[in-house]
Amino acid sequence: MGGRLSQGQVIAAVGAAALLVAMFLPWVGVSGPSLPSGVQLPQAVGTGSTSDNIWEGSTLDIYLLVTVIVAALPALLALADASEEFSFVSAATFLLGFVGVILVAAFLTVDFPDGADRKYGAFIGLGAALVIAFGGFRAMQEEVGGEI
Amino acid sequence: MDANRLSQGQLVAAVSAIALFIISFLPWFGISGGVVVQGVGAVGGSENFSLWESENPLDIYLLIVILVALVPALLALSGGGGDAPLAPFATALLGGVGTLLILYQVFDTPGDLDRKVGLFLGLIACAGIAVGGYLSMQEDVGGERY
Repeated sequence: MGGRLSQGQVIAAVGAAALLVAMFLPWVGVSGPSLPSGVQLPQAVGTGSTSDNIWEGSTLDIYLLVTVIVAALPALLALADASEEFSFVSAATFLLGFVGVILVAAFLTVDFPDGADRKYGAFIGLGAALVIAFGGFRAMQEEVGGEI
Repeated sequence: MDANRLSQGQLVAAVSAIALFIISFLPWFGISGGVVVQGVGAVGGSENFSLWESENPLDIYLLIVILVALVPALLALSGGGGDAPLAPFATALLGGVGTLLILYQVFDTPGDLDRKVGLFLGLIACAGIAVGGYLSMQEDVGGERY
């Protein structure tokens, strides 16, 4: 399988797998105040912490899922021993990965919910989107190099 | 500026991008409700949110789509067309994914808000950008610009 994939496609596929895993990790968390021992609160008042992954959010989850599928497509085709080749997959991987980096970075900065904590899943997701964009760019370069 | 410098696909994408930018300021989501207060009567109210007011990364994504759709047209109009073979593909791809994301919002609105006119007009405009990008790709292949 690896022989049929270019280095860039392998990098993008690894990034896609990492992003898929990251999407199930906590991205946003809310921490409650800690209370001195002995103090009791009514049942409805929570003091613990909660965390949500990106699936609980908005359209970002759908966008990242599309990015994962496109970035993993060459590896999935190689796994299935399919002979189809899509000429624009590398460019699509680069574009979607690059825009994904912008969207996750914006989510972590300007779009982040007030009063919530940034969890490690979001940072792993940002890194994975970067890896996908780099893999797509590398695969594009390899395609151009192969045509000369 | 001479609009004849634009290909049909670039023109469709650019007009749709301008339309999407204007539409983004219309109401996309809304919340409505009324409460009957004793002694006061019905206290009702509704509030609408434009694309920029709703807490959603869709606004940043659609801004990127608008820019990607407009830049090739602006470059062509200014006469500095340059060589950007990826631009029609980027317009078609990002416009297509944008259409998919807006369609998702039509069926699954954030926080169970009401759907407003901007959401549906935005869907049409974003689909227009994708079609314009696709037409540009076809024209480039036909004209052997690649």
